[in-house]
Amino acid sequence: MMSGKQYPDNSEIFARKAEGRRERARLTFAEKLAAMDALRERVAPIVRAREARRRGNKFPATP
Amino acid sequence: MTLRRTIEAVTQLAAKGGVANYAIAGAIAALNYIEPMLTEDLDILISVDGFEKRSSGLLLLGPIEKALADMGYTERTNVGYKIEGWPVQFLPVSSPLDEEALEQAIEIDVAGKGEAHLKARCLRAEHVVAIALKVGRLKDLARIQAFLEQDAVDLKRLKNVLERHNLMGAWKEFCIKAAIKNPLGTG
Repeated sequence: MMSGKQYPDNSEIFARKAEGRRERARLTFAEKLAAMDALRERVAPIVRAREARRRGNKFPATP
Repeated sequence: MTLRRTIEAVTQLAAKGGVANYAIAGAIAALNYIEPMLTEDLDILISVDGFEKRSSGLLLLGPIEKALADMGYTERTNVGYKIEGWPVQFLPVSSPLDEEALEQAIEIDVAGKGEAHLKARCLRAEHVVAIALKVGRLKDLARIQAFLEQDAVDLKRLKNVLERHNLMGAWKEFCIKAAIKNPLGTG
């Protein structure tokens, strides 16, 4: 159902994001490798928590 | 412990004869062409020459294991051998597509600014896309979309590879799933 409410047009934001992705794609392989190392370091706590959760699921506490 | 050092160790493994032929594959190969996306391991496509094959078809990677151990890498994780902090998965060639991809792999320079040159073999963009299409998990399809959006694959070369390996059907299904007009122009 159309409410008649005006919504903003986000297409320019999405176009800027796409351009950012293309720019990052143009980095050198070495720069991207360094980015991967940094990215991996940043998500390490999440990965550790996920692994701990998996270990917990494998051996669930008995009631 | 960096990915660059991990790749360097793989090149040393190849130089020592631990693998006959290799190429960086998967998400890290994609990295050569598209923006960085998180991955947990480094996939290395390897030729099957020199490996013992069981009657079940299972390939024994003992020579790699031994060569790695000689280099001081003895730790294994559930996703592969741990080399310089990164899990490395050695994937033996398992199809004509893999074989072609490995044969036609290119040499890239892994070194950063001011570092000594370090050449490593990496799959071509069209083969990274074709293999992702064949594997077909959601994350693989997302990777294909990234190649298209970032103009990172030569469409003519991709079409040739897909036709050669009977993947045009899978490609059309991908276009439907991704809700895009077929960029290869085959309907």
